[in-house]
Amino acid sequence: MSKEKIKINTEFYDIMPVEYQELVEEGTYGKEGRGWKDVGESKELIEEHSLCAGCPESIAFRYVLACLPNPEDTIMVGSTGCTSLVFPHVAVHNIHSLFGNQNAVASGLKRALSYRFPDKVKDVVVLAGDGATVDIGLDMTLQSWFRQEKFTTICFDNELYANTGGQSSGLMQKGFVAKMAPAGKKFEKVNLPEIAKVSGCHYVAKMTVSKPNRVEKAIRQAILIAREIGPTYIQLYTPCILEIGKQMMEGLQEMRDSEGPNKRFEFEEYISEEAKAYLKTVAPKKKKRKEISA
Amino acid sequence: MYAVAEVVDEACVAKKGCRLCIMYCPEANTILFNKENQVAEVVEQRCKGCELCVVVCSSAKHNAIRLVHR
Repeated sequence: MSKEKIKINTEFYDIMPVEYQELVEEGTYGKEGRGWKDVGESKELIEEHSLCAGCPESIAFRYVLACLPNPEDTIMVGSTGCTSLVFPHVAVHNIHSLFGNQNAVASGLKRALSYRFPDKVKDVVVLAGDGATVDIGLDMTLQSWFRQEKFTTICFDNELYANTGGQSSGLMQKGFVAKMAPAGKKFEKVNLPEIAKVSGCHYVAKMTVSKPNRVEKAIRQAILIAREIGPTYIQLYTPCILEIGKQMMEGLQEMRDSEGPNKRFEFEEYISEEAKAYLKTVAPKKKKRKEISA
Repeated sequence: MYAVAEVVDEACVAKKGCRLCIMYCPEANTILFNKENQVAEVVEQRCKGCELCVVVCSSAKHNAIRLVHR
């Protein structure tokens, strides 16, 4: 389908916003092998957003959107938080529901899509913060993995409730003192990647967004596996520079510092045997548009 | 007065394949690759002046981006 769906009627072309015109002319919908290398040379699927200057979360957003293998047939499900401030500026179909409901909404959506479009590849990607994934929406997150729902869950882990002033979240490190958690976190950071493995996820990855190659590979694999095999989970460290007391240009260094050996965001990847066998059958970048059976 | 990034064309090594500033800029469509001149260019209206591009460029010893006041 590529860009046919968003093409502008020639008579109305001049009154459409410049950004939309650029998207139609230079957007990367339908491009084979799209990835982070397209940024800077073609129109990105994200527009000027309202996140803070230097926010690592917006770097992560750029990579995720640049790496979706099939953006025109992808539906993203968001949740409350800083991510929900960006979704209005994203040129991919997206849904916002109640706080924590994202995996339940995505389950229904994926099932409905596979009935309605049995011959088409339709990807569903959940993108939510750590509060929505681990605290408020943990029930929905886990249940969707237990049921083997075929979609990808991406968690932007900033280790606290940044949008509301810095309350402690389940993914905050033990002992960390935040603006609205002055006594410090009392218990350990919840190890969601491990929980995901035992809950039935077929692909689990934990990393920071300081290496776009790695993010691209993880997202592509997660989405491919979610099409055919079962649920997948990616946890990306996107520190909130405001709440951890960093300057706006220090976000990248903070991510690099957290991913060293034995640090809490050291790169980890888990692929189930079934998923490994499947990945061998699809050569990367060539068969990623392989059609799904209902 | 706002601080925005500015590329020094002579020092930019984008023609050799460097994409550091484009890659790590948190803003979308802000630092673009100019195919004609083979350098990075900043869209000033979108730049929030976070200085991240200056940090990555200077830590790679290219020193091709500086902040200027507009």
